[in-house]
Amino acid sequence: MEIKKILVCDDDEGILDMLALILEETGHEILVERNSLNVLSIIEAQSPDLILLDLWMPVISGDQLLKSIRSNPRMHNLPVIVISASRDGRKIAEHAGASAYIAKPFDYQELIDTVETCLGSYAK
Amino acid sequence: MNTFKNGKFNLSGESLTDNFELLTKALDASISGIIITDNNQPDNPIVYCNKAFELISGYQRSEIIGHNCRFLQKDDRAQAARQEISDCVKNGMECRVEIRNYRKNGDLFWNELYMSPVKDKSGQITHFIGVQNDITTRKKAEQDLRQQKDLMEKKIDERTAELRDSEAFLSSIIQTVRESLLVLDPQFNVLSANDHFLKTFKVTAEETVGKHLYELGNHQWDIPQLKELLMKILPTNNPVVDFEVEHDFPHIGRKLMLLNAYRVELEGQYKDQILLAIEDITDRREIERRKDDFLSIASHELKTPLTTIKGYIQALQRMVSTEAGDRFRTTLDKVAVYVERLNNLIAELLDVSRIQSGNIELHKTFFNFDAMVGETIDAMQISTPSHHFALKGSTKALIEGDESHLIQVINNLLSNAVKYSPESKEIFIHLSRVSEYVKVSVTDYGLGISPEDQKKVFERFFRVGDVQERFPGMGIGLYICDQIIKNHKGTLWVESNKGEGSTFSFTLPIGGGNTNGN
Repeated sequence: MEIKKILVCDDDEGILDMLALILEETGHEILVERNSLNVLSIIEAQSPDLILLDLWMPVISGDQLLKSIRSNPRMHNLPVIVISASRDGRKIAEHAGASAYIAKPFDYQELIDTVETCLGSYAK
Repeated sequence: MNTFKNGKFNLSGESLTDNFELLTKALDASISGIIITDNNQPDNPIVYCNKAFELISGYQRSEIIGHNCRFLQKDDRAQAARQEISDCVKNGMECRVEIRNYRKNGDLFWNELYMSPVKDKSGQITHFIGVQNDITTRKKAEQDLRQQKDLMEKKIDERTAELRDSEAFLSSIIQTVRESLLVLDPQFNVLSANDHFLKTFKVTAEETVGKHLYELGNHQWDIPQLKELLMKILPTNNPVVDFEVEHDFPHIGRKLMLLNAYRVELEGQYKDQILLAIEDITDRREIERRKDDFLSIASHELKTPLTTIKGYIQALQRMVSTEAGDRFRTTLDKVAVYVERLNNLIAELLDVSRIQSGNIELHKTFFNFDAMVGETIDAMQISTPSHHFALKGSTKALIEGDESHLIQVINNLLSNAVKYSPESKEIFIHLSRVSEYVKVSVTDYGLGISPEDQKKVFERFFRVGDVQERFPGMGIGLYICDQIIKNHKGTLWVESNKGEGSTFSFTLPIGGGNTNGN
């Protein structure tokens, strides 16, 4: 299996740790980041294959960040899974151009399946 | 007897005596009582009375002659009419009075007395002639009439007072209600405005009453939505209820108003007048919005640690080695069940908040209805070994709707059936197609619901009283189900007998209700 790079950004440390724990089971390389401000530069530097993004984050919200990604020619094709507990999360995510949406709290298998689907459909 | 000599009484009799007798007979034939008193004798005694006088008074001639007339009044002396008579006697004048007299047997009779003096050549009064008529009947009729009139007047006074009271009562109600009220004439001129209107819109009665509605407060009531209500909607839809109008008033700012309008259709003085009730819901909406925001944030914040817990538990469940004991496994599984329950409670709270603010969002897709129901029942069966779910029938329908919300409804009906039938183990689910609808019925043989509670189970936070302690919960599950089904243009209802169990059924239009049954 080809090892891919997954960047996870959530301002909640508990969620971040847990997501990292689950995703490490997939065998891929997991990068975690609490500060959404750093995400664009991490993408530039690390070229991840997939991003998991929370919505409600301080300074730059997930949907703002997603819009920046989609409007940046160097990364606009990057698959981004939005994962949120917000009531309007799905709508906001779709509007911002998310590849997939997962509502918190999510199901283990749902997370794994969505991640693999998004990775599979993406070729650099 | 000069008159006789003058020939005035020269009747057809042979002699003076004949003519005299004729006159006497004439007097006796009169129905009026006639007496003559002698003014030259002390105390004016009666010297003549005719037959009618005997009849009226009940006395015989022998008992009358020689008496003063006053015997007719017996003890009833204090009458104004007596003074009048005695004044006339003193002054030698005619008089006519109505006086209370008494018959010999004591019965009262009203006597209309006409009295005139007889004078000699020198002008001295020699006699008085009294003519009497019994007017008791007339008097009684007059009295009855007067009593009737008094009674009528009293009743009219009472009714007037009642009307005044109820008018005052009505106007006090109008002034007390916490809602603005305007009465308009058919041309939309303001006939009256209550205190609450004046207070809310910071105007005086002088600035308002008599003015045209649209011209009020320098045309600040010239609101297009209001014009539409009064001129287009009300003429064909009377009354109009809960018509929402938003307007920015120059002095008092933006107001959100809920209007009720009613045009008087009753024939009469109020016909075509318009009652306009204006409820200011600006603050209420703001509070609702804040509550909504609060619930939204609270649920987000609650879900965040819950997501972490759930994630870890699911990770743990996968990490458990096959050698781990059953006790460890079942304990972990139980934690997972209760985390899921907590998650559902939070979701329900958020649902209520959304429904109340009218924000229930449906993500509609087409899906296989029977498969959805079947899978939902299967999942419930796995987590509920205590009961057996028996599914019968099918719809073979493709439904357009929010699948996850409809799963939520079925889950709720199933878990209620389980919860309220602890003694009975069987739960039946029946699927069918009725006309252009699919129908789902969930039947349990548990506690059942009394008729009065059946009406309320779909209300928010309603809990059937006697089951509150044994079966805790928030009482919002069925309310949410009802709202979800309504949002799908379907109907949810219950049939139940206390002690025999309940059947909750709902229908959904095939094709999402947009295709008119095709």
